[in-house]
Amino acid sequence: MATINNNHHQDNSTNTAAAGPGVTPSKKPLPTVKTVDTHSVLKRLQSELMALMMSGDSGISAFPEEDNIFQWKGTITGSKDTVFEGTEYKLSLSFPSDYPFKPPKVKFETSCFHPNFDMHGNICLDILQDKWSSAYDVRTILLSIQSLLGEPNTSSPLNTQAASLWGNQEEYRKMVEKLYKPSG
Amino acid sequence: MISDSIPNASIPMASSNPKEFVKKKRANRVAKLKQYKLDARREQWLSQVKNKGCCKEEFVVSEATHGPPSVHLENESGRPTEKLEIKPGGKEDNFEDGLLIHHYSDSESSPLNSPTSRISSILGSNDSVTNFTGSSSSSRSSSSGSMSEEDDGGCLDDWEAMADALSATDHKQHEHNLKSGSNSPPPGQHVNGAQSESQSEITNRTVSRTASSKPKPGSGVRVVQKAPVNSWAWRPDDACRPQSLPNLSKQYSFPLNPERHVGSRGSVCGCKNVVPVPTSCPICYEDLDVTDSSFLPCLCGFRLCLFCHKRILEENGRCPGCRKQYENVPVEGEATSDGGSLTFRVARSCSMITRS
Repeated sequence: MATINNNHHQDNSTNTAAAGPGVTPSKKPLPTVKTVDTHSVLKRLQSELMALMMSGDSGISAFPEEDNIFQWKGTITGSKDTVFEGTEYKLSLSFPSDYPFKPPKVKFETSCFHPNFDMHGNICLDILQDKWSSAYDVRTILLSIQSLLGEPNTSSPLNTQAASLWGNQEEYRKMVEKLYKPSG
Repeated sequence: MISDSIPNASIPMASSNPKEFVKKKRANRVAKLKQYKLDARREQWLSQVKNKGCCKEEFVVSEATHGPPSVHLENESGRPTEKLEIKPGGKEDNFEDGLLIHHYSDSESSPLNSPTSRISSILGSNDSVTNFTGSSSSSRSSSSGSMSEEDDGGCLDDWEAMADALSATDHKQHEHNLKSGSNSPPPGQHVNGAQSESQSEITNRTVSRTASSKPKPGSGVRVVQKAPVNSWAWRPDDACRPQSLPNLSKQYSFPLNPERHVGSRGSVCGCKNVVPVPTSCPICYEDLDVTDSSFLPCLCGFRLCLFCHKRILEENGRCPGCRKQYENVPVEGEATSDGGSLTFRVARSCSMITRS
């Protein structure tokens, strides 16, 4: 208990110390309340990284970019027995300062021919938008995207061409191979 | 009611370090959070002490050295204490009384023998008497009141240390009971102390759980007889037991697995299943303390620390485990709202079983 209190206490005192008594009242009160101490976000992300590395999930991985733990690079490999088998996709995960209360922004960096991804890498996945829960983490996100690869929701597609082609798995597989450009 | 006195009350706690003290003053929100948590823990502790007759006496004795008002208190608590069989609603009310008294003295920083605290304690006891005619429950509320006054007079660390010591002794007792009565351990003793148990004890517990989950009236009676102090609000087999109260088999399902369970992600989909108590908050990954681990804000069983819970209440107020709206806002004291009182009754009755 003491550690938790201390952590929260320190973080907030740095926040408020910056905003100290001499600061003009123009400082909006709402963001001050909403601001999450970066320490707890750091702790959360570090713990997630540890858990992800220890979990040994096959087909997913993620790691922070150089010196910014709020910016991660992830990889997802296509599951076996799907048209995406043998392909690997890079993603970028950008965590907001109020993570995990707000979802990270996840985008494909490798273009992926998929009904629910557009060619700019945007992902249409409810848990990354309105169905986000702070109980989700990087691992569940990546696993969700991985399973979405093999089981797309063709009723509300971002990529209509992919959605219409999904019924023909052989043709779809050819299209995936044709469009697959693994980035170095 | 509670939050009003928070800024005042939390200041003396940080007085150990002058620098921190200044910072603390600025960080009003942190102070509130901390006090919110402290209050919750204090309440838990008080409920623990309630069920420990010996500890209560100690406090009354020490209180008696403080002067005239304590005589009044002592007289109050000298009354027969067989009113342990009061309704759960009554316990809640008593509880509130105790808290109210405490906050009176807190916000006004009145000395121990100030007339305010005395009057309020009298008021508190009056309340409980009128609420439950015939039951002499007043001594309960006044004794808890005297305890919190004592705390405020001394340093706040005292009750925390006391609470830790209490739980430590409970653990010891618990282990001892396991050794001595390993043939037929009363199921109640398996409810709490889930954090530091070995694997064998877990299996032991599981066995007793399955045994007790059978609707056999005899087992329930046996539990009652085992208890030296009869602190049951309702017997498990009581005919007029309210449906809303959690039953025993439900209680056992909560603290089943003491293993470290960082994510507890399974609860996102399988809400109704048995959810083990994680040792760290699945949201912020900070360790759950005693207060947190008995804090069950949602019926789905998703646990999180009080900080994160408060944070979520400030936003959409939905349980991360099941996305349902949190039914209650337990910041203002769980006794007021249905969902909160329900969950806290669970926690409280758990501790009763273990400690009696």
